[in-house]
Amino acid sequence: MRTAVEVVARRGPGGTTVLPVVRSSGQLAVRRTGPVTVHLVATAFGPLGGDDAQVRLVVEGGASLRVRTVAAAVALPARDGARPSLQRITAEVAGTLDLQPEPTVVAAGAHHRAELRVALAPDGELLVAEQVLLGRAGERPGRWTGTTRIERCGRPVLHTTVDLGPGAPAWPTPVAPRAYASTAHIAPDDAPDDAPDDAPAGARAAPLLAPSCGAAPTDRGAASPGVVTGADAVRLPLPGGWVATAWGSELHRVVAAAVAIERPGGVPA
Amino acid sequence: MTAALLTLADSRLPAGGHAHSGGVEQAVAAGLVHDLASLTAFLRRRLTTAGAVAAGLAAAACDAVRSASDRHRPGALARLEAEADARTPSPALRAASRQQGRGLVRVGRRAWPHPAWDALPDRPHHAVALGVAAAAAGSGPRDAASAAAYLSVSGPATAAQRLLALDPIAVAAATAHLAAEVDALVGQVLPAVPDGGSVPDRLPASADPLLDLLAEVHASRKDRFFAS
Repeated sequence: MRTAVEVVARRGPGGTTVLPVVRSSGQLAVRRTGPVTVHLVATAFGPLGGDDAQVRLVVEGGASLRVRTVAAAVALPARDGARPSLQRITAEVAGTLDLQPEPTVVAAGAHHRAELRVALAPDGELLVAEQVLLGRAGERPGRWTGTTRIERCGRPVLHTTVDLGPGAPAWPTPVAPRAYASTAHIAPDDAPDDAPDDAPAGARAAPLLAPSCGAAPTDRGAASPGVVTGADAVRLPLPGGWVATAWGSELHRVVAAAVAIERPGGVPA
Repeated sequence: MTAALLTLADSRLPAGGHAHSGGVEQAVAAGLVHDLASLTAFLRRRLTTAGAVAAGLAAAACDAVRSASDRHRPGALARLEAEADARTPSPALRAASRQQGRGLVRVGRRAWPHPAWDALPDRPHHAVALGVAAAAAGSGPRDAASAAAYLSVSGPATAAQRLLALDPIAVAAATAHLAAEVDALVGQVLPAVPDGGSVPDRLPASADPLLDLLAEVHASRKDRFFAS
């Protein structure tokens, strides 16, 4: 089944956010649940293998949008087995997007592919969290393949594909986690004109950025202050923010580990 | 295949690769790699993540050198540098890649003179430099990808042999047994390499958070033998 969702957030009078476009069809409905919050509500079981969900989010300058879901999504195998379920979220963000759905549980035999592509404008801010559990209780793990690409002004900031579960080539024992959590926060880089001397020279020799898009990201070296490591968790710096990832056998512990390294020692991130 | 490819993939090429273990040193310290079987699992993990990313970038850089004009080459390579950064969020892994990239530029400039070397930044990512080296040596994107994929396991295998005092013949055999997987990976990666001038955002981005964690813990150690 094909599912399509589109939400546009625009700055309204007095600093409020209005939603001039809220469309949905297929297996997801959109409900506005707060001044800047929408919930995606699953209207059917699944997703099932072969299902294709496309979610388009636009957050215009000065607007804020929080996106939540009401319950964990349980990805189930197609009856014919082979086809994965797809979920593709594309976001254009000039304001602030906070995207934190409930966990995705991938049932035994299912393969769920999640793709997130975010294009940030110079002032765009993003907070995105994803939580994955392979297999329901007492069940073999399913497979989850998640691709995240975040760009600022057309320049890639983060691009990773994490492939977990049976059949994923980089999922051998002894580190073959059933639970995975990843959070990224990227705020506007507010130091645009102090490009350090060790910035990649090529990036400066051939400008890729509009002048308003700030400096090229710098190569901060191994002693970067943005790195935090845990037992099965690591937080890495990004231009204007960070990405924290944790993995393990139980989702609630993994989520707690991810939160613990997001704000080490209570220092604001 | 060309003899230039053999030179590029030769561990005796003095590009500095011998100083890096590709995460193996920390994997040994963490108890994840302790014998031939666990080493093979680690190498496979590395091949299909870091190796796939490096193969894609190297092939794309090689193609960019061959298809872009002198004027457009710096921009094309800078775009690949940005793609490499986005796929390498770990500062320790970025530093390791740029160190090896600089080492390769140093020897590559002398070995295979070509105007494309001047289109690279001072400390390029290793995979991007490898692609330039392959092009400068007259090889194509497939050779560049093969060298990158092979180097993603050959160096770490040697490092493990030294750290664990493994039987060199057994380690060589284990590496050789991965050859079919290296070739298969290259075959999967090549279709994602952009045609001259198009945006390289579909290049492989396979990530392994475990390798990021190992690299960062390793970088903070004072008692390490390898640079990464």
